[in-house]
Amino acid sequence: MKRILAATALTLLAVSATACGSDDSGDSGGKTKVVFSYWGSDARQKLTESAISVFEKKNPTIDIEGDFSDWDSYYEKLATKIAAGDAPDVMSIEIRGLAEYAGRATLADLTGTLNTADLDQEVLKAGQVDGKQYAVPTGVNTFPMIVNRATVEKAGEKVPDDTTWTWDDYIAISQKVTEKGDGKLWGTEWNVNPAFLQLFAAQRGEQFYKDGRIGLSEQTIKDWWALLQKIVSTKAGPDAAQMLETGTKVDQALLATNVSAFGSWWSNQLTALNKGSGQELDLLRMPKAEGATTAGMFLQPAMYYTISSKTGQAEAARKFVEFLVNDPEAGAILLSDRGLPTNAKVVDAIKDKLTPTDQKVLAFIDSIKSELSPIVIPPKGAMEMEDILKRASDSVLFGKASADDAVKAFLNEANAAIGK
Amino acid sequence: MTLSPAPAGTAEIPVAPREKADAPRPGPLKSSRGRSQALAAYLFLAPWFIGLFAITLGPMIASLYLSFTDYSLLSDAHWVGLDNYEKMFTQDDRFMASLRVTTTYVVVSVPLQLAFALALALVLDRGLRGLPFYRSIFYLPSLLGGSVAISILWRKIFGTDGIVNSFLGLFGYEGHGWVTSPDTALWTLIILHVWTFGAPMVIFLAGLRQIPRSLYEAAAVDGAGRWRKFRSITLPLLTPIIFFNLVLEVIKSFQSFTQSFIVSGGNGGPVDSTLFYTLYLYIKGFKNYEMGYAAGMAWVLLLIIAALTAVNFLMSRFWVFYGDDK
Amino acid sequence: MATTSKRVPALFRPAPRLVRHLLLIAAGLLMLYPLLWMVSSSFKPEELIFREPGLMPTSVTAGNYTEGWGALKHSFGYYLWNSAVLTALAVIGNLAACSLAAYAFARLEFPLKKMWFAIMLGSIMLPHHVTVVPQYIVFAKIDWINTIWPIVAPKFLATDAFFIFLMVQFIRTLPRELDEAAAIDGAGQWRTFTRVIMPLCVPALATTAIFTFIWTWNDFFTQNLYLTNSDNLTVPVALRQFMDSSGESSWGPLFAMSIISLGPIFGFFLAGQKYLIRGMATTGLK
Repeated sequence: MKRILAATALTLLAVSATACGSDDSGDSGGKTKVVFSYWGSDARQKLTESAISVFEKKNPTIDIEGDFSDWDSYYEKLATKIAAGDAPDVMSIEIRGLAEYAGRATLADLTGTLNTADLDQEVLKAGQVDGKQYAVPTGVNTFPMIVNRATVEKAGEKVPDDTTWTWDDYIAISQKVTEKGDGKLWGTEWNVNPAFLQLFAAQRGEQFYKDGRIGLSEQTIKDWWALLQKIVSTKAGPDAAQMLETGTKVDQALLATNVSAFGSWWSNQLTALNKGSGQELDLLRMPKAEGATTAGMFLQPAMYYTISSKTGQAEAARKFVEFLVNDPEAGAILLSDRGLPTNAKVVDAIKDKLTPTDQKVLAFIDSIKSELSPIVIPPKGAMEMEDILKRASDSVLFGKASADDAVKAFLNEANAAIGK
Repeated sequence: MTLSPAPAGTAEIPVAPREKADAPRPGPLKSSRGRSQALAAYLFLAPWFIGLFAITLGPMIASLYLSFTDYSLLSDAHWVGLDNYEKMFTQDDRFMASLRVTTTYVVVSVPLQLAFALALALVLDRGLRGLPFYRSIFYLPSLLGGSVAISILWRKIFGTDGIVNSFLGLFGYEGHGWVTSPDTALWTLIILHVWTFGAPMVIFLAGLRQIPRSLYEAAAVDGAGRWRKFRSITLPLLTPIIFFNLVLEVIKSFQSFTQSFIVSGGNGGPVDSTLFYTLYLYIKGFKNYEMGYAAGMAWVLLLIIAALTAVNFLMSRFWVFYGDDK
Repeated sequence: MATTSKRVPALFRPAPRLVRHLLLIAAGLLMLYPLLWMVSSSFKPEELIFREPGLMPTSVTAGNYTEGWGALKHSFGYYLWNSAVLTALAVIGNLAACSLAAYAFARLEFPLKKMWFAIMLGSIMLPHHVTVVPQYIVFAKIDWINTIWPIVAPKFLATDAFFIFLMVQFIRTLPRELDEAAAIDGAGQWRTFTRVIMPLCVPALATTAIFTFIWTWNDFFTQNLYLTNSDNLTVPVALRQFMDSSGESSWGPLFAMSIISLGPIFGFFLAGQKYLIRGMATTGLK
C-alpha cells in the first residue's frame, strides 16, 4: 500500500513536470503564433480552418491557432482570458460588445494601421468608437421581413408591395392566413428583438441611442408594444408563451417549420430558415407606419475582427485580419458565413460562388442601399439591452405590468445600464 | 427488543443510541498516542491540504477581496467598500427576486426529490428480478439533467403543443405553454430537478447496502415484521445517509445553475420567473461585467448556505444515529 | 405473512410481483420519455425533427449518426477517447485523495479538526463562478492552460469535498469496535484504513467512482474553459459545437452523438452497480 502511495506521488510529479514543459505562448518552433478566437457552429469552424490554412501557406512564418467556442459561453471565456492576461491576439466580437471592450482598453486602436480602403466606408464607421477604429466589420446583415409566398398564396392572398405596405396591412394579411390555416398556421411570428424596435423608431425619426442615453420616446415604445399586442389579439400571431418557446433558435422558427407565413430575422439566417422549411422564402422591407417616409431598414455588421491591445504579435495579427477581409481567396471560402463581405472587390470575385439564397440577400441589400438609416453603435453597458428590453416587453405581454409602468422601468434600467 | 448474539466478528449493534462500551479512548492530544494520531491525520490529509491552499483557498479569498471592488474583468479593480452589498439589499429588485425564486425552488424540490429517491431506493434494493436494469432506468434522467439537449426536450414536452398538454387534453383541459409562462416556468424546473432523483437514489442504495443483513435476520428471528424492521433498523441506520443527502441537496439546489441557464436560454425568464441566484450572479459577472458585485453575491450565498448547513448539523443531533457514537 | 427480507413499507405489501413489475415499467417509461424522444429524433432526417415533433418518426435514417461522427474536426471517437482518459484520471484521483481525507476526518483526532471540517464543507458552498477567474489566473501562471491538468490535478488533491463528506458519513456508520479490534491486532492507521475500513466502504467507493465518472464526463464548464485547442476537446465541448445559437444548429447529429456519449456513462453505471451491491453481508470481517 505504501508502494502504491509512493508510486502515485512520483507519477504526479513526473507528469506535472512534463505538463509544465508544454509550451503555449509566443513562439512555436520559430514561427510567430497568433491566437484567433471566434464562435459559431461546426460548419463555421471548418470554413475558418480552411481559410487559416490558406493564410498559413501564404505566410509560412505565421502560425494561426483557432480558439473556437460556442456562442453562449464565448464572451464569458473571452472575458476570463482577458482578466487573466491571456487574451487572444485576434478576437471576434459583435456589435453589443464593441463599446464595452473598446471602452475598457482591451482593443487595440487600429486607425491608420490597416488596409481598409476597399471596404464599405459607411459600414467601416460602425467599427469606430469616439472616432477611433477599434474593429473591422466582417460583413453586413439587415433585419428584413421574411415571407413564405407559397403559404400566403395558399391562403388566397397576395403578398403586398413591400415599399408601400403598412403595419395594418401586415396584421390584416397575417390574420387572414391564420384564419384560412385551420388551426395549423399562424400568419406571422414576432419577436422583441431590439432591432425590431430600432426599425420601428427609425420610422418616426427616433434613434435608439442618442448622446449616451436611450433616444426612444415613451410613446414609441408603448406603441411598439401595442403593435405586438395587436398581433396577438387579432390572432395574426401566436401568444407570448408560444413565441417564447421557439426562442431565438432559428431552426425552430415558425417560418422554418412552415407554420407561419411571415417573420423577421437577420438576413444571414435566411439559409437556415430555407433549410428548415424546404420551401422558397423571400425578403421584404418592413411595413411602415402610416405616413412614414422610411421603413427604417438599416445595415448592421454581423461581427467584427479586433486585435487585442496587449498582443505581442501586432503585425502578424494585422496581416491576418487584412487577409480575412480583403483577400478574395478568404472570401471564397468564408462566403457569407460572417455576413456578406463589404469589400466590393471580394464581393465581385465571389458573386458566382454564393448560394442562390445569399445572392438573394445580396440583391436585397443592394436594393435598399439608398434608403438606409444610419448604423447605431450601442454604447458601453448595452450588452444587457436585449435582456432589459425582453423583460420589460414580457412583463407587458404577459400582463404582469401596465405599459406605462413597464416603459418607465425600462427607460430607468436601460439608461442606468449605459450610464455606468 | 433485544437481539440474539450476533455472529462472531460483528459488533453488537443495538437499535437505539447507547453508551459506548469501555474501550481505550485516545488520551488528550498531548499524549504520544494523540500525537501519533495527529501526525497520521496530517499525512492522510496532505493531498487535501495542498489542494486547499493551492487551488481553493487562494481564489476564495481573492473573490472576497473582489467583492469590495468594482472589478469588471476587463479592467482593474478599484476599492469601493460596502457599495456592492448595499446596492444588493437596498436597490436591486432582481436580487430579491432571485432570492425568492431560489428559496421557493429549494423548499419545494429538495424534499420532493429526496422522497422519491428514498422510495425508489427502497423498492429497488432487493427482492425483485432485474433490479440493476430498473435502477439504471431510473438513474438515466440524471445523466441527461445537465445536457444541452434537455433544454429542447423540456420545451417540447411542456410546450404549448407538447405531450403534457396532449395528455391534459384527454381530460378536456386546455393547457398553455408551461415552460414559457411566468407563472408556471419555475414549476417545470422543479419537476426537472425531481425527475433527476437518480443521484440521491444511488446514494441511498449504497447506504441500504451497508446495513448488515444479520440485523434483519436477527430481527426476523425475534418476530419483527416488515414495517418494524424498516422503522427500527433501516431508518435509524440510514440516517447518516439521509442527513448527507439533505445537506448536500440543499447546498446544491441553492447553487442551481445549469438547468435554469439552458431551459430559460440564459436570462432567467420569462420576466425573471426562473432567475436562480447563481444565474443572476453569472449574468452580473460575465454579461454585465460587474464581477465585483457578483463576488459579493457569491459570499452572501455562502453565508446563507453556511447558516442553513449549521442548522442542519445542529438538528442532526436529534435524529441522526452514527455507528461510531460515543 | 411470508418472511421475505424486503424492507418495504406497508404500501407495497399487497401488490403481487407482476403488478410491481408493470408499475415499475410504466414509471420507467414515464421517466424515460424525454430520452425516448431524443432517440427517436436522432433517427429522423434533420429537417423533420421540429417539423414533426411526434415520438414516432415518419421516416427513419441513420444519417445523423454517420454525419455526427464525422462532422467535427476529428471523428467523434477521438473526443470520446479524450473524455475517457480525462475521466479515468479523475476517478482515480478522487478515489485516492478523498478516501484518505475522509478517513482522517472520520476516524482520527487532530487539532482544529472541527475548523478544518467546516472549511472543507465551506468550499462546496461558494459558487464556482467567482472562483473561476482567480483559479484561471493561477493555472495560467503555471502554464497549464490548454492541458487537462487544471481539471485532473484538483481531483488528486481532494478538491471535490462532496466525496470527502460522502465517505465521512459512510465511514461513520461503521462501529469503532472494528478499528479497536484491528488496533489490538497491532495494525497501525494505514493498515486499519486499507484492510478494515476501505473494504467495508466499497459501496461508498463505488458511488464516488460512478459520480466522478458521470460528472467529469458531462462537465462542460471547466473543460470548455481550459481546453481551447480544437485537438484537445472532450465530449461535452464537442457536443456544443453542433449548436449555433445565431444560425443553424445540427440538431440531428447533436442528438445522435449525445446518445452515443451516454453509452459509456451508462455502461460504467451498470458495471459499477456490482460494487454497489456488495455490502457488509458479502465482505464480512476476519
